[in-house]
Amino acid sequence: MRISEQAKHENRIRILEKAVDIFTAKGFDATTTRDIALAAGLAAGTLFNYFPSKETLAMTMVTEALGQGREDFQRRRTGDEDLAEELFLFVASGLRRLRPLRPFLGPVLERSLSPFPRKSVCQEGEAARQEHLHAVQDIIAGHGFAEAPDYVAMTMYWSLYLGILAFWTNDISPNQEETQSLIDYATRMFVQIISGVVPGKGEAHAE
Amino acid sequence: MRSEKILEQELLKALPKDRNSDPAGLHLANLVTSVSNKMVPVNSFSRIWILGSLQARVTFGYLAYWLRSRFSDAEEKQRLKSEAHLAAALQLFGTMGYLRGAVMKVGQMLANLPEVVPEEFAEVLSALHFEAPPMHYSLVREVFLDEFGREPEEMFASFEQQAFAAASLGQVHRARLQSGEEVAVKIQYPGIARTIKNDLRALRLLLQPLCLTRDWEDTIAKLVDIERMLLLETDYIKEADHCRQARTVFVDADQVVVPKVYDGYSSKRVLTCEYLLGCHINEYLQRAPEQAERDHFTTLLTVATYRLYYRLHWLPADPHPGNFIFMPDGRLGLIDFGCTLVMNDEEWCDSNAAIQAALDRDMPALNQAIASACRFNHPDEMAPDHLEVIRQGFCWFMEPWQHEGLFNFGDKAFFLRGIENVIEAARKRYTRSVPMTIWSNRFTFGGRAFCYKLQGRCEFRNIFLGESAWQHQKL
Repeated sequence: MRISEQAKHENRIRILEKAVDIFTAKGFDATTTRDIALAAGLAAGTLFNYFPSKETLAMTMVTEALGQGREDFQRRRTGDEDLAEELFLFVASGLRRLRPLRPFLGPVLERSLSPFPRKSVCQEGEAARQEHLHAVQDIIAGHGFAEAPDYVAMTMYWSLYLGILAFWTNDISPNQEETQSLIDYATRMFVQIISGVVPGKGEAHAE
Repeated sequence: MRSEKILEQELLKALPKDRNSDPAGLHLANLVTSVSNKMVPVNSFSRIWILGSLQARVTFGYLAYWLRSRFSDAEEKQRLKSEAHLAAALQLFGTMGYLRGAVMKVGQMLANLPEVVPEEFAEVLSALHFEAPPMHYSLVREVFLDEFGREPEEMFASFEQQAFAAASLGQVHRARLQSGEEVAVKIQYPGIARTIKNDLRALRLLLQPLCLTRDWEDTIAKLVDIERMLLLETDYIKEADHCRQARTVFVDADQVVVPKVYDGYSSKRVLTCEYLLGCHINEYLQRAPEQAERDHFTTLLTVATYRLYYRLHWLPADPHPGNFIFMPDGRLGLIDFGCTLVMNDEEWCDSNAAIQAALDRDMPALNQAIASACRFNHPDEMAPDHLEVIRQGFCWFMEPWQHEGLFNFGDKAFFLRGIENVIEAARKRYTRSVPMTIWSNRFTFGGRAFCYKLQGRCEFRNIFLGESAWQHQKL
């Protein structure tokens, strides 16, 4: 039976919603695609028409959340931010959208975003990485850099970002406030590295 | 390198020197240089501090000088071992974030003993506060989203993106409520509690090799209490509660203002209070106020602190001058209740027993109160000199209470006697005491340093009689 685009769209949304609930309740590893299909009222095999694997499904949630985070960032930025602050805002806006997924995100990000060589690269993960780095390059370009940072700088950025994500998924402090402190420090450090500036006088509080 | 050479010479000039063992200061300079040249990992709290700068090296040197003086009478072998500990301790000190500034100030002051002048002492005390790194506006916004689910500009009619003051745990922004009130919004740097805990762990390690003495347990108990109070300060809900309680004990005629807390705009990490128009002491003194005006503010400050003491059993233990606002209409604003020691019944009774004994000139009772405060069961357990030095200090504290008429807190000789007593006690290592004395000393010296700077006078005894009468009325 052919189903309408509208029904397809609704199924997809329902799968994603139910998957969040089940991943949160059971954890990513213990959840099967069958669990999700059943919860969404679909036959087990039907789910694969929408998402080829559990990893892709989870990573789709991540990509969508990060996309919303980018929109939030665009809306929230005032244009007065310096580079470190703007990067902070960008990273923090993304994490805020990822927050509902946080309880089960550790293994998802580990599999989909791992920088180590793998047999099969998660396409969703790779797309998320590319989109994120493009956005970062756009931000950097907006702050007077004549050229885009080279692969070394961007690899360092990505390592920092993965580190932040890993810390954040483990962060038990209220509202993951320790992650905020880490982002603050990490973004300042990255800007210092690519600017080649060692702060002489440091930074100071307003008098 | 030439510049390095100059740096070394300046360092040599600036460092304290030990007349006997290191008259040229060379040994100390070498130690400081060797430690400074080693890299220490910085955390987000220490990113504004550079270990290798001359200024850092000098203050570092003062700390080293003081630490070394703690075991200067040790034997040569022990001394060498201690020097190694010292180098390690100093390196550890470099990794501290939040408390380092304060520890450095104390080190600097202790190294200058006994030549500290009152002005310096007052200056060090007022600078003895902790500072979190500055936050940019985007970080402030994230804190707001976490605390209230809304951005500052959604909550307030206007919100200044640039902080106007640094607070001990974060920073303060001016804003206006939708209803028009001007407010001061204090925002805490995220994750500060962890840094405080890490720093205290480092401080314990730092002091350990130097304090394998009779009073190590006492030092540990004090550090535990410091940690407890600092962590208490991270809870702005508690502070808001203190503010509200403090407001209930003052009436308009007192001319002491505790700002109103706006609950809907306050949380564990954000505290929104009424903005008090006015200035801090330095700006106030620049206007060269008349003596009568200085006396007026000294009176208000005394009334304010003893009102809190007698009615609420509090010690406002943060002497930071930024916590007092000189308002243009002659009122005094009290703006920070984060570091407030709320005495328990036992502490309250002990504190009053000592005061009463001194007022009654009841020497046996006074000696017993002092012994208890120094963690001895009986005065006989204390060395006579120990008892004498601590008693002298307490009698100095009590002088204004026994003085009829105007008491001049600007009297240099008076202030100096208090400092000399502290110096003597520190030099003789008569530091064993119940943890509360950290806060009562901070309260006393903070208040007196402030009034000394203000060159103010007040009818202290009358104020004390008036404020303490309240508890008798209650009974």
